[in-house]
Amino acid sequence: MNKIKIRIDQKEFSGNAGDTILKVAQENRISIPTLCHNDKISPTTSCFVCVVKDVKTGRFLPSCSATITEGMEIESDSTEVFEMRQAALNLLLSEHGGDCEAPCTIACPAHAQVEEYVRAGKNGMTLEALKIIKKRIPLPMSIGRVCPRFCEKDCRRNVIDPGQPVAINEFKRTSADIHFENYLEELPELSAPKVAIIGAGPAGYAAAYYLRLDGIGSEIFERLEKPGGMLRYGIPEYRLPKAIVDKEYAHLEKMGGITMHYNQELGKNLQLDQLKKKYDAVILTIGSWKPGPMYAEGEDLALGGIHWLEMIARNGWTGENPGKTIVVGGGNTAMDCVRTAVRLGSNEVWCYYRRTEKEMPAEAIEIQEAKEEGVQFKFLSAPVKVEKKGHRLAITFQEMKLGEPDASGRRRPVPIEGSEYTVEADTIIAAIGQQTIPPEGAKVNRWKDIDANRKNYHMEDNVFAAGDCVTGPATVVEAVAAGRIAALGVKAYLEGNEYQEPYTINVTRGLWQSLKKEDLVYLTAPVERTREALEFISLYDRKTSFKEVTLSFTVDQLKKEGERCLECSCTDKSTCKLKKHAETYLASPDGILGVKESYNADTRHPAILLDRNKCIKCGTCVKICKEVVNKSLLGFGNRGFETNIITAFGESLPDSCADCGECIENCPTGALGWKIKS
Amino acid sequence: MINRIKIGTGSCGIAAGADEVLAFFQENIKDIDIVEVGCIGHCYAEPLVEVETDTGSYFYSNVQPNIASLQRILNLEEINQLTFPKVRKEKELVKVSRLAGRINPVSLEEYKANHGYKALTKALQVAPADVIDQVKIGGLRGRGGGGFPTGMKWSFLAKHKTGEKVLICNADEGDPGAFMDRSLMESIPHQVMEGMLIAAHATGATQIFIYVRAEYPLAIRNLKIAIEQLQNTKLHVIDGREIVITVKEGAGAFVCGEETAMIHSLEGYRGIPRFRPPFPTDSGYKGHPSLINNVETFANIPVLINEGGEKFAEVGTEKSKGTKLFALAGDLKYSGIVEVPMGITIGEVVYEIGGAEKGSVKAVQIGGPSGGCIPEEHFDTPIDYDSLGKLGAIMGSGGLIVIGKQRCIVETARYFLDFTSRESCGKCTFCRVGNVRLLETLEKITSGNGTEQDLEFLEDMGPKIINGSLCGLGKSAPNPVLSTLRFFRSEYLEHVNEKKCRALECNKLVNVYIDKAICIQCGACLKTCPVNAISDDFIVDNTVCTRCNSCIEVCPKNCISRTAGGYHE
Repeated sequence: MNKIKIRIDQKEFSGNAGDTILKVAQENRISIPTLCHNDKISPTTSCFVCVVKDVKTGRFLPSCSATITEGMEIESDSTEVFEMRQAALNLLLSEHGGDCEAPCTIACPAHAQVEEYVRAGKNGMTLEALKIIKKRIPLPMSIGRVCPRFCEKDCRRNVIDPGQPVAINEFKRTSADIHFENYLEELPELSAPKVAIIGAGPAGYAAAYYLRLDGIGSEIFERLEKPGGMLRYGIPEYRLPKAIVDKEYAHLEKMGGITMHYNQELGKNLQLDQLKKKYDAVILTIGSWKPGPMYAEGEDLALGGIHWLEMIARNGWTGENPGKTIVVGGGNTAMDCVRTAVRLGSNEVWCYYRRTEKEMPAEAIEIQEAKEEGVQFKFLSAPVKVEKKGHRLAITFQEMKLGEPDASGRRRPVPIEGSEYTVEADTIIAAIGQQTIPPEGAKVNRWKDIDANRKNYHMEDNVFAAGDCVTGPATVVEAVAAGRIAALGVKAYLEGNEYQEPYTINVTRGLWQSLKKEDLVYLTAPVERTREALEFISLYDRKTSFKEVTLSFTVDQLKKEGERCLECSCTDKSTCKLKKHAETYLASPDGILGVKESYNADTRHPAILLDRNKCIKCGTCVKICKEVVNKSLLGFGNRGFETNIITAFGESLPDSCADCGECIENCPTGALGWKIKS
Repeated sequence: MINRIKIGTGSCGIAAGADEVLAFFQENIKDIDIVEVGCIGHCYAEPLVEVETDTGSYFYSNVQPNIASLQRILNLEEINQLTFPKVRKEKELVKVSRLAGRINPVSLEEYKANHGYKALTKALQVAPADVIDQVKIGGLRGRGGGGFPTGMKWSFLAKHKTGEKVLICNADEGDPGAFMDRSLMESIPHQVMEGMLIAAHATGATQIFIYVRAEYPLAIRNLKIAIEQLQNTKLHVIDGREIVITVKEGAGAFVCGEETAMIHSLEGYRGIPRFRPPFPTDSGYKGHPSLINNVETFANIPVLINEGGEKFAEVGTEKSKGTKLFALAGDLKYSGIVEVPMGITIGEVVYEIGGAEKGSVKAVQIGGPSGGCIPEEHFDTPIDYDSLGKLGAIMGSGGLIVIGKQRCIVETARYFLDFTSRESCGKCTFCRVGNVRLLETLEKITSGNGTEQDLEFLEDMGPKIINGSLCGLGKSAPNPVLSTLRFFRSEYLEHVNEKKCRALECNKLVNVYIDKAICIQCGACLKTCPVNAISDDFIVDNTVCTRCNSCIEVCPKNCISRTAGGYHE
């Protein structure tokens, strides 16, 4: 038979009569995206993601169905074709409902695969859980103790048990407690380049760790005599025992290729310009160590919160009884200070805050535990003056009232004229946040933080910066997330590239606050169980020692708690063709906005989930069941925008479908899925 | 001397009360024949009665089922007598619809007495190829909208020499405001049949389907009667083949007017289009070569064969031959069906035949919901396939809706898109989702929340929908939006930037206002307001008012009006 000649993207190819453009393209390794095309069935020609342009007629053709004709000229990678495919994907996403990733994973600043490690923990596979966790969180014992739990705040379990999300962080803590010391990653051989990391806090740790996973060694220069940064010198022992920090930092040495140098301070015995020359790249992870000012007269008489904590830490969490203590501020550092003061023997500890409890930036649990330990609170008071009064100090406050919301959304405190009052104390601690001390030679922004590109933490030349010193004071998990990106940034830099996180999309049903129970989609009906409670040491021990306040979950507790997880993510998230093509063609769930049809997921079949919200109406399942399986158990219902897939007579799919699954295997999205996630 | 009385009982007549008139006349007239006929096209004048006398016909419009009305007719009084607008006679060229409304639709004898089936006899005497040649010479193009040359399509079917071949008559007329095909089937079903039988001879078809929408019960009845009459008289035997003729009732999906969707529907499947090729003339109904022509195309055939291709081609323009039926509707005086020669200008149809007042018309929507909106300044455009295409409109099946100056152009586009987006079959992404997104954007604009970015979105997405849809529905659905944006952009911009609807039609952009200088405080508006938005001292609370217009309608002094304003966010 005579071959038909066509040109695709100006290259000549040939095919047989009746061949589709797609077939000829695929045979010649020209990639054309498809969603509804499936070799097993007759063409559905529905999605229009495979469009190409027929240059001679100017028409756009679905390449899955259009057959080749002699002399045809096809364009498959022009801007116009790209935009058509992008528009088709944007339209499909605009009617697509569901969750690609679970909300916990999205909420996690490090985007750890939360649902996956919770599932591993639920199944008792704690080592597996740790491996998943460490892909994004290299300090799981620390973060498992001190994380403010962004994940839990967005956990959908809150819909069923308000205020009782799955205790996600405990999965990190317990899994790591069991396996951290014994588990060593498979490591590639070290390659030539060397990186200097300035600061052995969490960001520096993460940078060194992830560089090492890529075979790049580093030398870490630390200002203080031991590693850990805020983990060691900022967060009190009762929240994070330093023996744990020691274990985590010992791991870096175990990995090999990472060398620690202590008592090395930038600007003193270290110079940035020399480091730049000596090393292939430098990462600044120096943190934010300058206490914020109170803007009160005589404030030098007060101690700076983190300085005070650092002093106690250096002293092995011992120290003099501070007497009557007043801590000014409402953040986590303030809570660390008041609770530390209690443990040092003070029997009168106060926290003064200029707004109300509702506006306090500290974690609610920290406030709660501080109260349990006898800390007293005074709200709507701002310091105006500190002065000496005999052996003691006197601090004058002005009363405040709440005005209009400010940029942060919290109501602004407004002073009340003539409301000043003075109280005496033995110790006054200002815990008003921290600031970065930018090293000489660093680019800074208007907040005096280091100015680095947030996509790859590149500052300039071969210098990168990550963590608090770039963002201002934040959390440990944010620091490790940034450290990891900085490591990727350095790796790309060393290869002569500029790192950019790959474009990903995420469809979501929305935050749990906007959902009702009926909106949730389950693989299996959720277990009715409240959140496992943490076991606390006695209140006496809490008030008199720096022992860790809570005990880790047992593996049994993890299993029980894991059963509370609703497994919100999509069954198809790793293989979904809609997601894959959308990411290739830079389509977005917000690209085109409009109403979405909403369906209840059909969970009647014991093994199969039919979630019409995710259906792209391609009809592949209908044709597979009819043409391949010879059953016709699926069909189309309704028309137009309301088109959806219906089961025969609206009944549940028969049990025998569990043995077939052709429709599931061929569904381009997660509209049809098995009820088990691996 | 009155010979007989004809009462128009087409659907348009019945809708206006012709049934009651018929019953009343049958009861009260004993000695004169009363005949039911179809539609003569003057729908604005229904119920319409024609009195045949020795000296000619007299027409009576808006006839009532009462003695007074009957007496006037029997006395041939001048009151209510319809004198056809003179211009209409001059401008119209009634050929295809010549017998519509003149003969009893279900009388084979009467059709034959008016040269019926003469063309079939003539065609059967020549070879099929010669018939196709005549159709080609006549230059007839498909009247369903696409305008594909009919003779060429026939030859595609004729070239298949063996096996079953199927003719399908597309009678799934679904455009809002279009009723030409209904009228032809109701009024002259035999002429449609004759066209199909000639086609059967010319193409060698063995089977005929007539796909009629179920909402046309009278057409279905008349077609079925005609088929029975053909079978009784063996007229359905063509070249020795007994042609099986089946009327298939469509369930009301607009998209089934698209040929591949129609074939799926005929086969018993979901009515969704498929990619072409293969074209139906190669693989259609159950894989048989199949030819689909529209009702009006078939109705043209007997005319063409009778007068010969050359004569037929004398009428019309270079590339568009013959006459075309249009259903006139909208803001004009004489709604109804007109048959005009191809090449007549839009203005002639709208102003002269339709009687629309000059200066009162903003645009005309040609080609149904997926056609285009042509502004008044282009009314000198000749009506033919190619000229309309250049203006972003289509000939379509022949719906012609006149849009008066009092109408909002954005709302008009929204109205048509609302129809087409509902009628999408849901198969192609661009049509299913894209059109809904366009519609949402138009709704955003008519409710006063639009931005100029929204206009850009319409202009970007519209052509993509056209390029990314399989069938004519998706390929043309954005036309009303794109053509109105092209010709009436300033009206869109007013909605978007000034939050103003100059036609005062968009509810969210108007307030209702009572002019207290004229108001006589009769209280009619107070009583009728369904939401109690009018205070005792006759002030409208526009935050409560739903703009339902009830008060405006009941006000005896016309002192309530819609004014610029509104409650857009």
